[in-house]
Formats: sequence, structure tokens, C-alpha cells
Amino acid sequence: MKRDLHQFQGRLSNHNHGTSSSPSSLPISKDKMMMVKKEEDGGNMDDELLAVLGYKVRSSEMAEVALKLEQLETMMGNVQEDGLSHLATDTVHYNPSELYSWLDNMLSELNPPPAGSNGLDPILPSPDSFLTTVAGDSSTITSIGGFPPSDYDLKVIPGNAIYHQNQFPAIDSSSSSNNQNKRLKSCSSPDSMVTSTSTASQIGGVIGTTVTTTTTTAAESTRAVILVDSQENGVRLVHALMACAEAIQQNNLTLAEALVKQIGCLAVSQAGAMRKVATYFAEALARRIYRLSPPQNQIDHSLSDTLQMHFYETCPYLKFAHFTANQAILEAFEGKKRVHVIDFSMNQGLQWPALMQALALREGGPPTFRLTGIGPPAPDNSDHLHDVGCKLAQLAEVIHVEFEYRGFVANSLADLDASMLELRPSETEAVAVNSVFELHKLLGRPGGIEKVLGVVKQIKPVIFTVVEQESNHNGPVFLDRFTESLHYYSTLFDSLEGVPSSQDKVMSEVYLGKQICNLVACEGPDRVERHETLSQWGNRFGSSGFAPAHLGSNAFKQASMLLSVYNSGQGYRVEENNGCLMLGWHTRPLITTSAWKLSAAH
Amino acid sequence: MSEKRISMVEKSNNKRQRVNQVPKFSINDHHDVLVEILRRLDGPSLCSAACVCRLWSAVARNDSIWEELCFRQVSPRPSLSLRSVVSALGGYRCLYFFCIRPVLARLPKLRWTRDQLQLSLSLYCVHYYERLYVGAWLGDAPPAPPSSLMFLRKPVNVV
Repeated sequence: MKRDLHQFQGRLSNHNHGTSSSPSSLPISKDKMMMVKKEEDGGNMDDELLAVLGYKVRSSEMAEVALKLEQLETMMGNVQEDGLSHLATDTVHYNPSELYSWLDNMLSELNPPPAGSNGLDPILPSPDSFLTTVAGDSSTITSIGGFPPSDYDLKVIPGNAIYHQNQFPAIDSSSSSNNQNKRLKSCSSPDSMVTSTSTASQIGGVIGTTVTTTTTTAAESTRAVILVDSQENGVRLVHALMACAEAIQQNNLTLAEALVKQIGCLAVSQAGAMRKVATYFAEALARRIYRLSPPQNQIDHSLSDTLQMHFYETCPYLKFAHFTANQAILEAFEGKKRVHVIDFSMNQGLQWPALMQALALREGGPPTFRLTGIGPPAPDNSDHLHDVGCKLAQLAEVIHVEFEYRGFVANSLADLDASMLELRPSETEAVAVNSVFELHKLLGRPGGIEKVLGVVKQIKPVIFTVVEQESNHNGPVFLDRFTESLHYYSTLFDSLEGVPSSQDKVMSEVYLGKQICNLVACEGPDRVERHETLSQWGNRFGSSGFAPAHLGSNAFKQASMLLSVYNSGQGYRVEENNGCLMLGWHTRPLITTSAWKLSAAH
Repeated sequence: MSEKRISMVEKSNNKRQRVNQVPKFSINDHHDVLVEILRRLDGPSLCSAACVCRLWSAVARNDSIWEELCFRQVSPRPSLSLRSVVSALGGYRCLYFFCIRPVLARLPKLRWTRDQLQLSLSLYCVHYYERLYVGAWLGDAPPAPPSSLMFLRKPVNVV
């Protein structure tokens, strides 16, 4: 025992004599040290922030430092004898600036379980000195440094120990699972190159929370009881998601794989919207990593129809889209005796009853209403567009509107041609074109959108209403798309939280989850969810020969009224932007309705 | 009041002594008068009135009463074509119950104008359309009843 102590002190005095920060000076031949030598080339710079505080830790070693601190902490927790437990409290700090090597030292000594280390001088650093490094909250997203895990075994930790646990309680727990969670968390964060004080605070946080409990429970169980702060968890979850996406961006699939598993565990410890979003994104990331194509991409249209119906009922986004588009079309059709609407997004035809009713009740009586619906083929070859047409015809008869219907089945809008639509001369018939969440799917095919816009121009509509998601999910860089979509769908799921739980709500979440899956896991022509912002669409339409048509104040009023009924209007916001209406949740716009007409030159 | 009553009773007693049969006025015998009275009630009162007895409940199903209730504050009065549309979609009573009453309950200070009415009508129309879907189901199990107006009925959790 004493010999150990002397060895230890001898090593420490080596440090105290101001050795350079190279581990090779120590006569230790542990595997971990070897590994550190391998990684010396990358990340030789000392971490700046810790350097300011007096610690010399190389950036590349941050992860291992943190891991070792964690191991140290659990080892201290494991100790039965009093000898080491008091180390946690009264300690003297002996120049731990050589943090990495010193830690490794400690662990190599402690790793064979410390048998009766009475009489060891307190040479461990005071936890308070770590805590002084704790900064405030860290909301910045750290970017990843490229350190290879190699035999670092991130996979071992989230192995059976996690997966045979059935349920993680969200907040406090006295099970060892939370210990694992904490260990995982400190693993995930140091994967990042520190650009903020986040890592320091997390390390400090880990030590801070665990050491205090160690002292109280050292005599009791081998594992400390830890109160898990779910907000901390939330931050870590986001960091883990970003880190995983960045790993995928850099093609570091082994690291990404490990991170995805961690995300899965972290996500379970959350509650509510965050949990659902994280779960969907984690699944999508996993699919991307393992190259599993999402289940039935565009095949099962009837399922997506059903899901969209539930989405329609749960939250106001689709209703907003339909009502505002209808209002624009209604105003454009003023005074016309024969009207024709071409709908690119037929689905269940939920948009048209309201328009037909408004036409039925307008001044001067209803016009003759003709509807052409375009949709993808149904999987079971049933003529589902025909069924929709029949229902609409029934409704039209009831409200005394002359109705004519035609359904077109097309795999993609780009397959359409103006000649197929049997357009009548524009003197007799006013045409409107409507597209709700359909145009972005064309951006995956080169030339697709141009062809469709060309067809629309040939149709010569009096108005072209477009509803699209307000977010840029079509950038060239995967990481940017991931970040944008994470924010977007988090906001969307947040807005769903106010809805009382029901089957509808679950289905709406599945509907959104499928979008997330397509966005993250697919590439090339498979990735159809290529959302773009209003300004991007505006540029596209502008250069194709369309000019914006402003939506009137009636549309705004109707939209505001609709939203005031939903959840007493809390949270939803309608904004007007250059004549277009945006529906958002709190400050974030989520969908945009815009109307376009042919510009004068055409 | 009680004195008046006493005097009335005395008078009627006197009258009865003079004449054998005095026609008593019972509102239940005069449905048109009852309808006229009910038309002037506000929503909650009308709903209570409809629960008084079977006769009153049947009388209260008269759609013109509910039409009056819906349009009382709306000016100018909507055209007659509206009546045919609404009755085709299910009538004013259903319109009131499905669309108007929940909205008023949620937003009690809402001024009921043409715009709100238009919105209610749109929602009502969508609801009717969804019921068409339910009606036409030929599969094994009937789907859930249309719930596009559920957001009006269910209690809200304010986030």
C-alpha cells in the first residue's frame, strides 16, 4: 500500500516540476496512453478556455479527460472505505494543470480497485475548483472535432447495461441506469471541439452533481443516487443530435452510429414534444447510417391520405392553408360565370366544400364550378380520385351548385401537359390553379419545376395559389438541412402539444415523422421533402414570369378568426408578408400561403 | 303581486259563478305563439326551454327559431339562398350546436358578424362533407365519426 502511495506521489512530483505537456515522459505503458500518442498529431492545441483557467488540456484529449473524470467519480463512489471517500470533500489542489496525464495516472492507480488506501494524502483536486469553471447555460451548438474513437469503445457503455433496462424515469431515479446516462452524456459532449464553455460546464456539472452525492452515499450503495436534470438532458440531446449529423456529414459513420444510440437513450429520458422529435430524428439518422430505405416511400398513398386527414383535424395548418387559398380564389373569381379550378393536391378534396359553399352564397348566385383533380395513383388501383369526385358532386347537388369533375392520375406533376386538361377558351371560363404542399416535391427532379411552371403558364390562370412550408430544407449541405429541419419540426411538434391526446394527434405526429424520415434519410430523387422559403419560391416564380398577387384583408381576417378558435389562439400567429400570409407558432413562421398571377409581360 | 293574484282569483271565482266555462289560456295549445316567444330567446335560455317537456322539445326543433338565433346580430340579413344551403347541410339547429355555440363559449366577447358566420358555415360544410365519407364506408369497421370540428368541442390545454 505504501509503495503505491510513494509511486503515486513520485509521479505527481514529476508533474509539479513543470514538465512539458507530453505524456511520454511518464513511465506508464497503459493502452490509453498509447492511444493518446496516436492522437497527438491532431488537436495539439491546448484548449483555450481551460487554459485561461490554468488547465492544460489538449482539445483532442477532451473526450478522454471527461471520460476519465467520469470513471474517477464512479470509482470514488464505489469506494467503501472511508479512506478515499473523504477525498471527495476536503482535497487540496496540486497543480492539476497537466489534467490529462494526471487523470490517467489516477485511474491507472485506482483501476485495480483501491484496497484500503488509508493514509493517502488528499491529492485529488477539489471539486470546487472544477466547479469554478462552470459557466452559465450553454445553448451554442458545438461542432465536432474529428477524433477517431478507434478502440475507445463508446459502444460498450450503451450496451446491455442500458438496453436491458425497460424504462427510464424522466426525472429522478435511484437506478444505475441514470448513472449510465450521465456517463453517456459526458461522453457525447466532449466529442465536440470546444468553442464555448459548454464542455467545461458539462464536465463541471457532472462532477458537481455527482460528487456531492458520493459523500452522502459512499457508505450505502455502490452507485450514487442522482437527480437527473431533464433540462440538462435536453441540451445534451440537442448537442448529441447535432454531433451525429456532423459525423454523418464528415462520413464518420462509426462515431455517428455510437451517437445515434446515445440519442436514443437520451430521448427516452425526455418528455413531450422534445422526446417525439428526438425519436423521429434519431430513427431517420439511423436509417441514413445503416442505409435502410424508409418503409414504402411513395407507394402507400392511401395511408398518407389518412394521415393527412388526421393532421387536418388536429391542428390548423391545413385548414389555414385551405381557407386562405379559397379566399384568394374566391376573390379572383368575382363576377365570373364559369369557373374552373385545377388542383395539384387533390388528396381527399377537403379544400373544396368550403369554396363551393362560398360560391353558392355569393352575390349573384353560384357560377358553374368545374374541378380537375390531379393525384398520384392509388396502390390498389382503385379510382380514389373518382370517389372523391362523387362525394363532391353529392355536396354540390345539396347546395345547388352546378358541378363538373375530372380526375387525373399522374405519378408526378411534371408528367402533366396542358393539352390533357381540356381547357376551354379563357373568355368563357376563368381558371385557377391550386397547389398545397406539392410543388416542393418537384425540386428533386432536374427540370421538374420548370416544366410544371411552364404548364401553369400555358393554362393562363387568373390566380395561382401556392401553400408551402416556410423553411429551407433543400440546401446542398446535409448538416444545414438537418439543423433547419430540427428547428422547424421542433416548433411544429411544440404547437401540437396543446392538443389533447387522441388518435388524431398520434397520427398527425406519424405524418410529420414520415416527412422527417424522408428529409433526413433519403437522398437524390427519393428525397421529396425539399421545402424552401417564400423568398426562394418568389425568386423562382418571378423568374418564370409570375407576379405576386396580394391576398386581401378578408383572408387575413378569416385566418385570424380560425386561429382564435384553435386553442384560444394562444401561440399561433398570422403574419402578412408582402401580400402573403404566414402561419406560425410564436415567433416562427411555419407555412405560407401566396398567390401569383401571370406578370404583364406574358 | 300577491294582492293582485288574490283579486284575480276572486274575480275569476266570481266569473265562474256567473259563467260555467271560462276559456283558460294555455301556451301549449298555441304552438305558433310558443314559437314566436322562443324565437326571441338567447342561446342558453332556448336550450333550457327545449328541455322543459317533450312538447316544447319538439317545438324547439323548428329551425326558424335557431335561424333567428344565429342571425340576430348579423346585419345585413343574409339572403334567402342561405337558408336552402344551410337546411341542406343539416339545418340551423345543428349549425348552432356544432359551430356557433362552441365558438361563442370559447370566445365570449366575440362580436358575431358576417365574417364569423361565414367561417362557421365553411366549417359546417366541411363537416357535412366528412359525414359523406362516413356514410359511404363499405369496409369492415366504420371509421371514426368525422372530427374536423372536434377542435371546437374538446377542452383545450393551454400550453
